Amino acid sequence: MNDSVLKIENLTKTYKLGKRDVQPLTNLNLEVKKGEFTAIMGPSGSGKTTLLNIIGCIDKATSGSVLIDNVDIAHLPESQLYKIRRDKIGFIFQNFNLLPYLNARENVELAMELAGKFKGQRKQRAKDLLNTVGLSGREQHRPQRLSQGEQQRVAIARALANDPAIILADEPTGNLDVNNKQEIVKLLLDLNQKQGTTIIMVTHDEQVAAQTQRMLTLNNGKILKDKQTQKSTLSGNQSKAEETQEE
Amino acid sequence: MGILTRATRNLSRRKTRALVVIIALSLALTMLIILPPSINARQALTQKAINSLIANADFLKTTVTLSATEIQCDYTISFDPNTMIGHGTIWLTQPLMNESLFNNITSLPDVTNVIPLFLELSTANRSYQIYGVPLENASFQMDPTILPQNITQGRNLQVGDSGVVILDEHAAENLSASLGDTVTILGRNFTVVGIEGLELPRGANGVTMSLADAQAITNSTGQAWAYKVFADNIDNVNTVVSRIRSLDPKLEVSAGLSQLNTAQPLESQINVLTQAAQNNLNQIQGTGLIEISIAVIADTAIILFIMLYSVRERTKEIGTLKAMGASNAKILGQFMLEGVLLSVIAAVIAIAVGVFVLPTLASVLLPMPVQTGVGIGWDPNGTVVLQPGMVSFGKTPVIPGHETNFIAASVTPEIMLLGLGAAILLGALGSLYPALKAARTRPAEAMRYE
Repeated sequence: MNDSVLKIENLTKTYKLGKRDVQPLTNLNLEVKKGEFTAIMGPSGSGKTTLLNIIGCIDKATSGSVLIDNVDIAHLPESQLYKIRRDKIGFIFQNFNLLPYLNARENVELAMELAGKFKGQRKQRAKDLLNTVGLSGREQHRPQRLSQGEQQRVAIARALANDPAIILADEPTGNLDVNNKQEIVKLLLDLNQKQGTTIIMVTHDEQVAAQTQRMLTLNNGKILKDKQTQKSTLSGNQSKAEETQEE
Repeated sequence: MGILTRATRNLSRRKTRALVVIIALSLALTMLIILPPSINARQALTQKAINSLIANADFLKTTVTLSATEIQCDYTISFDPNTMIGHGTIWLTQPLMNESLFNNITSLPDVTNVIPLFLELSTANRSYQIYGVPLENASFQMDPTILPQNITQGRNLQVGDSGVVILDEHAAENLSASLGDTVTILGRNFTVVGIEGLELPRGANGVTMSLADAQAITNSTGQAWAYKVFADNIDNVNTVVSRIRSLDPKLEVSAGLSQLNTAQPLESQINVLTQAAQNNLNQIQGTGLIEISIAVIADTAIILFIMLYSVRERTKEIGTLKAMGASNAKILGQFMLEGVLLSVIAAVIAIAVGVFVLPTLASVLLPMPVQTGVGIGWDPNGTVVLQPGMVSFGKTPVIPGHETNFIAASVTPEIMLLGLGAAILLGALGSLYPALKAARTRPAEAMRYE
């Protein structure tokens, strides 16, 4: 049985910066199983965000294949890609990226509206999701009236709205204080452990990364380390930490 | 929370900016809404003036031709020998013509019509003159001026009238009578159906009635004071004059051929005025079109620039929407709707403003129609002349359908709907390019945008 939700083979990304060719990702291979919580670490410019953007269909691969739920998105046209983003991916950004003119519930609902869900259905689900992330009673507040921690919770609820195959989180705790950081990590861990949500998270914070099941370290567009941690519970067949060192 | 709510919320995020843009758009749309009805009204009015000029020119030709074929014959006026003695006023007298003479003239070759007219001059015993005119359609059509021309109260005489009179102002004063009263003229009662303002060439103290009534009360059945004789064409006028003279050498016979000399300059004058009206019409249309174009360009350009600015300002939001799975069509629709919404709000204001400012603003934006109209009238000598004025009115011959009119333009429901339609169209046009730009934004670039 194939339980991989993401399979990347020989992924290379090249672009021009002035007259210079830049290659943030080189022949990268990666497989992520359903229900895995993966942290991607690495220095600035190592290709973390580029990798996340390609998985999230907001950037294109130069070569190689990227399979999400067995669909190769690497060469799909934009007319197909938006559907993958809408139905398969949930984004969580460092700066939350909530729409300032919509309240918390409406921000969550918008994701469902784009997916064509009915009003009654999406209103109830938005309420439930905000309840899940601990924001019941704050549905009517616009982002500017919420704390940063609360704004990130709304963003998490929004990412979950269409029940995506993968949640992509780009430094979700980067703009938060220590308390809020821990709250958000706990929330993501809860979602992963209780609901089996697949999460791929880019972070600079080793403490945060250490709490996930798998830590990838990128350098110069390649995976330097791929480490399964003690936290692995859902993958089932690992009982102890396992580390793979790539060349 | 649908796309419309989002568009409205977005506009209200920057209230001052939205207000300034809406005011600017409203100004452009006000011009757009009030110009077409104003141009139409001016066009209609000028067109009416042109039509009237053309009708007057035709009427002039007919009248002059008719005047030129007209021959008047009567006996010479003399002093009344009965009033020569004593002192005070000397009264005039004029012999009447018999029915046999009427029949002889009517049967002359080249004569088409003979209109008998009756006049009983004032005497020492009464201070008014009795006019009798044949109340028949044929006579009115041949020469409408046989009827009083300046009715100020009541009505004019009509075909078949009997027992009714028109008094001029002096006669009414002398007889102490007003409209609707019964007056006794030479022992017979008449109802006053109209009052005539004083007007030359008819003398003062006139009491006008049907020819039959005038002949009856003066015991002059079959007799007339003058005949208006019409030759069949201008070339035969002099021959007919000679024939009438040969019937009775005492008759005074005069022809209206001289009228022809006045016709030529009058016609060219009418042509000049028609050309001036046409030029004015072209000027109104030209100015209006330029101003409408300015309004259209201004409306579209304002929306284009404000939406381009908005797209640039909201690049990151566009990136977020795309990351969430918004299709290009949804982004395009969102931005176009915002542009259209701005334009529609401005159109509603423009319609409300337009209703009140149309007359004032229209007179600022468009040239006024020139006072090109003329009417045809008669000078004190009975010569046809052009009279200035908008179109036919006042004392000039009334040609039905060519009366003076006012500029009556208004913002009708039809114009309101057209204005709204134009606002939607221009809103969509102005926001199309910015919305396409937004829709084509690549999400990765948009997410990096700061």
